[in-house]
Amino acid sequence: MWTAEQHRRIVLEHEVLQREGFTQFSVYQDTTADTYYASGWAVSNAGFRYGLYIPIPSGFPYQRPPMYITEPLPLLMADGTPVSRLGVSHQMHTLEPSSNGMVQICHWRDSRWHSSILLQKVFLKALIWIEAYEQHIATGRPLAEFVRTMAETS
Amino acid sequence: MSTNDPQQQQMIRDAMKAIAERKPGRTKLVYDKTKRTIVAVAEGSQAPRALNITADDADMFAMVTLSSRWLREQWPQITRDRMVSALFSSWDDGDAFTQCSLGVQPSPSVLQGTILFEGTPPPDGTQLRVVLTPTEASGSDPSTFTAPDGAAHRAVAWRTLNNADQAVATVFADVQPELNIRRTGILETTVLSDKSVLCIGLGTGGAQAAIELAKCGVGHFTLVDRDRLSVGNVVRHPGGISQVGRFKVNVVRDLIHEKNPDAQVITHPIELTYENREALRQLIAEASVVICGTDNRPSKLLVNQLCVEANVVAVYGGAFRRAYGGQILRVRPKQSPCHECFVAAMPEEASDVEISSSSDAGDIAYSDRPVAVEPGLSLDVLPIAIMLTKLALLELLADKASSLSVLNRDFDAPWYLWLNRPEPGTQYASLPPLSASSDEMTINRWYGIYFERETACPVCGDFISTIADSYGIDLSSAGPLRSLPAKE
Repeated sequence: MWTAEQHRRIVLEHEVLQREGFTQFSVYQDTTADTYYASGWAVSNAGFRYGLYIPIPSGFPYQRPPMYITEPLPLLMADGTPVSRLGVSHQMHTLEPSSNGMVQICHWRDSRWHSSILLQKVFLKALIWIEAYEQHIATGRPLAEFVRTMAETS
Repeated sequence: MSTNDPQQQQMIRDAMKAIAERKPGRTKLVYDKTKRTIVAVAEGSQAPRALNITADDADMFAMVTLSSRWLREQWPQITRDRMVSALFSSWDDGDAFTQCSLGVQPSPSVLQGTILFEGTPPPDGTQLRVVLTPTEASGSDPSTFTAPDGAAHRAVAWRTLNNADQAVATVFADVQPELNIRRTGILETTVLSDKSVLCIGLGTGGAQAAIELAKCGVGHFTLVDRDRLSVGNVVRHPGGISQVGRFKVNVVRDLIHEKNPDAQVITHPIELTYENREALRQLIAEASVVICGTDNRPSKLLVNQLCVEANVVAVYGGAFRRAYGGQILRVRPKQSPCHECFVAAMPEEASDVEISSSSDAGDIAYSDRPVAVEPGLSLDVLPIAIMLTKLALLELLADKASSLSVLNRDFDAPWYLWLNRPEPGTQYASLPPLSASSDEMTINRWYGIYFERETACPVCGDFISTIADSYGIDLSSAGPLRSLPAKE
């Protein structure tokens, strides 16, 4: 299922994460299912922990990998309702949640993704999203106001 | 003018043909006051009054068009049974009868006709009969058919209307040779008949490009599109309102056959997803050239990856939003920049796409920020489709000598830009007027633009080694799988 080129790319992704100081994140192989995923814990500036999870799609790197927040679950909005209930939301920069309610962060839309983007940049966007989320919790204002845009510029 | 005398009909036809060809004939047309009709009289006969008949008057006859190839194939049966039946489209209140097997789109009114030898009684209820009579005439007469045994037969047709017979002019159509001869001089007859084009995405531009290539004589098409033709599509798409609801691949297949009946067309109403990439990979491997007319990035990048891998040239076309312009990228694998290079080099240009359907809008909309469907006009998409076709054609002819080979020096850039209007809010808003500039960029001109391949392109370059080197990572010693941490 996975090509040699994909294997090399996945190894590269892991190595770049370690070299760039993102050592809290790793790329893992599930040998039983012959799948790969990247995951780890992010700690916000305020000291809260968030579980991040990227199931690597079979078309990676040409296919966009989704980024989910595994914990807290459910992730709540300032008004106490689950973020996942919003679905694809510009105000909160989210895409379709997982079937068990994990929030999917909108790091790049399919229409902007390209295969030169490293997972390290995806994790970086997730860290930004988390800080903006905590500002949303503190103020009640939409997350989008704190990340003017997470659109691709390169 | 009406006469039921076949001899009179033939004389009239000969006279009209002579007039049309500006040649003197042995007969001439006169108006017979007694019969109150036009008759043909032999040379030297007394004519009460000559008329000024022009070539246009030949159109007064209803016409039946028969396929020569079909009749050749049926010849064993007709020589055995003395007759053979065929279905005819009846157009324009019986003004034209076109054999249904000539094309794929019959008229709403179809009637059964019989082709029979002279002296053979037609079956009861025959509405249209074509009578074949042996003749010494050459095959250049359109009403003359040359049988497989070399014998010539002149056809005279009759239709039965209100229990009366009316003569109908007959024309034999030898479709493929007649189509080929119109291309001779530009495209050497059948130079494209063995070429295969994979058309991915059959919206307005992709469909038009496929049909144009059929007109050029491309012999093999594979069509891929998951969409059905909707009412809203009809103002732009070559498919018409009567085709609404059909898969676009089937609509375009029929339109291709209307232009090139011998074309082999395979259709795949499938979605372009990574799950279907193996099927797509096979289709690309069999193609001479790929035309990608899809309007979203994931599908273009998927096609790009597979085409580069298979070393097949691909031409990508698309309109900008509301079709204020458009662009075409031609990718010659490992020779010119690929679509991934294009995205990396010009992200804004690569992201400027037309939102022509609710599906397109849904791909980029949010539930709390909808995106409006803003299609452009057909007339603004067609220039892009035509250029797309021309670039694809040049690739198909790359290994053939043709009159179009001289264009290779003109179309050597990888990227082509076209602007229909100076769209407000874009970098082209302040273009000089068309009439005021000869050396600055204006609307309604094609611009070939050069840019380089990205050496670190993940598709056509060596992204992994380049990135690994920049981070000081030695992938060769790490081993591809052992370096990954075990799952916790």
